Amino acid sequence: MGRFLNRFFARLNTRFPSLFDRAVKKPEVMTFTDVPWTPFTKPLNKARVALVTTAGVHLLGQTPFDMLDRDGDASYRELPSVTPLGDYTITHDYYDHTDAEKDINIVFPIERLMELKDAGFIGSVAEVNYGFMGHIDGSHVETLMKKTAPQVGASLKAKGVDAVILTPG
Amino acid sequence: MGLIQREIERQGTATLGISIVRRFSEEIKPPRTVFIKWPMGHPLGEPGNVRQQTTVLKKAIESLTAIKTPGTIIDLPYRWGRREDMGLE
Repeated sequence: MGRFLNRFFARLNTRFPSLFDRAVKKPEVMTFTDVPWTPFTKPLNKARVALVTTAGVHLLGQTPFDMLDRDGDASYRELPSVTPLGDYTITHDYYDHTDAEKDINIVFPIERLMELKDAGFIGSVAEVNYGFMGHIDGSHVETLMKKTAPQVGASLKAKGVDAVILTPG
Repeated sequence: MGLIQREIERQGTATLGISIVRRFSEEIKPPRTVFIKWPMGHPLGEPGNVRQQTTVLKKAIESLTAIKTPGTIIDLPYRWGRREDMGLE
């Protein structure tokens, strides 16, 4: 029943965006004053670019994100760039992904990024991209900030990625 | 999304987020943001609309170099359902 209601409200919010502000839970408003910064100095046509999405994208063979924990799921899935398009799926009850299931590129633009590489607009596409499920609350926020997000950051850095484009659900 | 973006940037890779909820970007202050006022689940636009998706992605990538001040949010001028905003049919 909980999952049904979450999906129902997700559809409502997509149809009627003005409801969104009221629908979003505001347990503790996280506001920051500092901004982390790494200068981007590489020419675009030499840069290696990765995608990180919070739209709940993962591969069919991977464990789906946990939709029963009300505080969400701070884990991530590795999404290799060579993955055939039909092997991607979405587990995320908090937004309506009917359209994204028709075309994954509207939340995870992997085909468009490959085309920009082929056109010479960017240098290369990272071998591995990363999928999170953007509904994260309670104790999972700390797990995300202290553990899983830094892990992904360290992996991207170690793999020589120059820039990351992040996309929501 | 912004929380993850901040941690990736902190680990040493430049990041840019495509935001569809401006308030989140204002409060969480990721390093670089392009904001587009489109419905949830559609940050790159409509299914099958390759030119629209490419336009948004190129703008995002170009903004990596255009943004020099940490925390900058660039508002993209594209209205939902108005293809003429991108010069598309």
